[in-house]
Amino acid sequence: MDSLSSAAASSQAVQRQVRVQLTSKQEDIALPENTGPILVPTGLRRYALSTLVNNLLGSDKPIPFEFLINGTFLRTSIDEYLTANGISAETTLEVEYVRALIPPLHIASF
Amino acid sequence: AIHLSSTLPPLTPEIEARRLWSFYESATNDLSLSLTEQLRLILAPTLATKLRGDFRTGKRLNIKRIIPYIASQYKRDKIWMRRSIPSKRNYQIMLAVDDSKSMLESGSGQLAFETLALVAKSLSMLEAGDLCVLGFGSEEHVRVAHGFGKPFSSDAGSQVFQHFSYQQTGTNVRKLIADSIALFREARFKRSPGGGNADLWQLELIISDGICEDHETIRRLVRQAQEERIMIVFIIVDAVKGSSILDLTQASFEADPASGSGEMKLKMKRYLEGFPFPYYLVVRDVRELPAVLATALKQWFAEVVDVSS
Ligand SMILES: [Mg+2]
Repeated sequence: MDSLSSAAASSQAVQRQVRVQLTSKQEDIALPENTGPILVPTGLRRYALSTLVNNLLGSDKPIPFEFLINGTFLRTSIDEYLTANGISAETTLEVEYVRALIPPLHIASF
Repeated sequence: AIHLSSTLPPLTPEIEARRLWSFYESATNDLSLSLTEQLRLILAPTLATKLRGDFRTGKRLNIKRIIPYIASQYKRDKIWMRRSIPSKRNYQIMLAVDDSKSMLESGSGQLAFETLALVAKSLSMLEAGDLCVLGFGSEEHVRVAHGFGKPFSSDAGSQVFQHFSYQQTGTNVRKLIADSIALFREARFKRSPGGGNADLWQLELIISDGICEDHETIRRLVRQAQEERIMIVFIIVDAVKGSSILDLTQASFEADPASGSGEMKLKMKRYLEGFPFPYYLVVRDVRELPAVLATALKQWFAEVVDVSS
């Protein structure tokens, strides 16, 4: 048991985490005001973030979302975004979400 | 090997560090007096003298020495026990302070400086033992800002502050624990190269905002430290404006065993639920520290005395 869980731990050891503050300007899909930052793995992409927001909203039928960080759409993993923009995972990321207009094709990729 | 302070360039200029130290030292002066007093009360019983052998005169006979005494034709006459003068320096205390950027973002940096000044000052006034101060973040190894075996003066305080900037871009707690264990081993060995240092107790106080990753590995290292009789108390400085670590949620995607196809499922939990340190305190204001810390140390010292007597 112990060796199993440690093997699992070491395979995830490189996984960084970052705090994200999710916001939306559209009232009908906004989260409750007191939703604080959430710690997420930096490996997440649009689809996983979309799952997260739907979960927080408690939506019966998942709404596909797009995510904006500093005004640009997230097209990579959060980790790749941080590296490309020279941002450390030490700061809380402000992430805005909007309804996706065209559902992406590769919906299952994380 | 672990870098000693002399091999690494300071992170904050000397003049600035001196200014910071004297500011925080005087800001926390009353509190450190109060902490010292509380610790003195906690420590007093542990410093109570014990009867020890072997002397030619003394208070009480050491029964174990009687037979060899007779067998040696009354030559091996060190058969008496005396109250030995207790050694005050029986504790090695390590203060490890998070130097990562997240400390500044949450406003914990100031609280960490206050805590550092407060605890270092109190422990040095108490002469409870040997004090070491570390900084940790994204650097390859922890920074030893003040090593074991050196007296802690105001000068030492300013030098310590030179090793902090809260600009490091990562928070490697796993590395911190691994390095701490190595440093403690070295300090224990220096104290008594032949081993058998039963009276020496080692305590690490970690001061951090508490955000770290790789909890499973950390948990294993903390257990290893415990096996080497190193006690770790994690002080979470929680000065976050707006949101507290107590409310922080953590999202992760884990393989869903029900699906069998390796489908990932979203899991949400409170961050502190999985926190890998069994002894942790959450402090939001430096004024709470003396009482909270005293309670934690009281427990620790009580355990220490229990085991050693
Ligand atoms: Mg940090």
